[in-house]
Amino acid sequence: MVTPVRTTGKPFNPTGRVAKKSPSVGQRSMIPDWLKIKYVLVSMALIAIGIGIFFMFLESEEKKVKKQFHLLSEGVSKETGENIFTLDQKLKKIGSLFNDTCDMAIPAHSISGQMTREEITGYAARGRLYVSELHLTFHDVMITFPQEGEARARVTARLTGKTTAGEGINEAHEIDCLLKKIEKKWLFSSIEVVEVLKK
Amino acid sequence: MVIRFTGERITLLKRVVALENEEVEFQNGKLLINGKEQEEPYLQYPYDWTLPARRVEPGSVYVVGDNRSVPMQNHLFGQTSLTRILGGPLW
Repeated sequence: MVTPVRTTGKPFNPTGRVAKKSPSVGQRSMIPDWLKIKYVLVSMALIAIGIGIFFMFLESEEKKVKKQFHLLSEGVSKETGENIFTLDQKLKKIGSLFNDTCDMAIPAHSISGQMTREEITGYAARGRLYVSELHLTFHDVMITFPQEGEARARVTARLTGKTTAGEGINEAHEIDCLLKKIEKKWLFSSIEVVEVLKK
Repeated sequence: MVIRFTGERITLLKRVVALENEEVEFQNGKLLINGKEQEEPYLQYPYDWTLPARRVEPGSVYVVGDNRSVPMQNHLFGQTSLTRILGGPLW
């Protein structure tokens, strides 16, 4: 008697055990191609995340530096009929934005050298006596980070307002600033008004 | 010449009167370059500026505007770097 046999095309394996595949001759790696692609994709994703975090960090530092300019603008600006309380608050604000000492170079006002925070606020207080209204705005702010904890900013500072004598103020200057990060705060350490035209 | 004064938008329109290493001087409303008085037919009004002689540094030019009837202190002029020159007017 002949027992019918169903042909499945699979090799005969009466025990049903799964045999381990032995690497064939010429096969270089045990890692399959799909896994290699997975590794590459994960690596690329990690690199992209790293780059993203780096730029996020840079951007946030840039925002912090820009904020200092915004605060300086608020501190220097003066409205008509400013009271003593506001003046005091603004001077304190100005002082908090500067390093213990700051290198100043303002050729038009014959200012050159290192000034302490107190000297700067004193200078700002005296300057306010000559103006009834003053607005300081910053434009074209270009910030670079030459090394860790240092930010260099080149900005256009625009001053508008009125003197106590009634004369209009309308000036624009290119300013080169160096800010240093001290105790998580960006503080002005150098301010130089660029002398474009030297008589 | 159009000179970049500050930022990307604020420019000045000035006339180049002296090149590098030349000596510039104003004497009672007369411009002198290397000690020679210059003819300036483009000036519409007389002026009275007096400024001692100074030499233009290398890489710079000396620029002055044509409206010199204002006091010298109120007029923006002087030596500026060549890198600040953006171009010249077309007409």
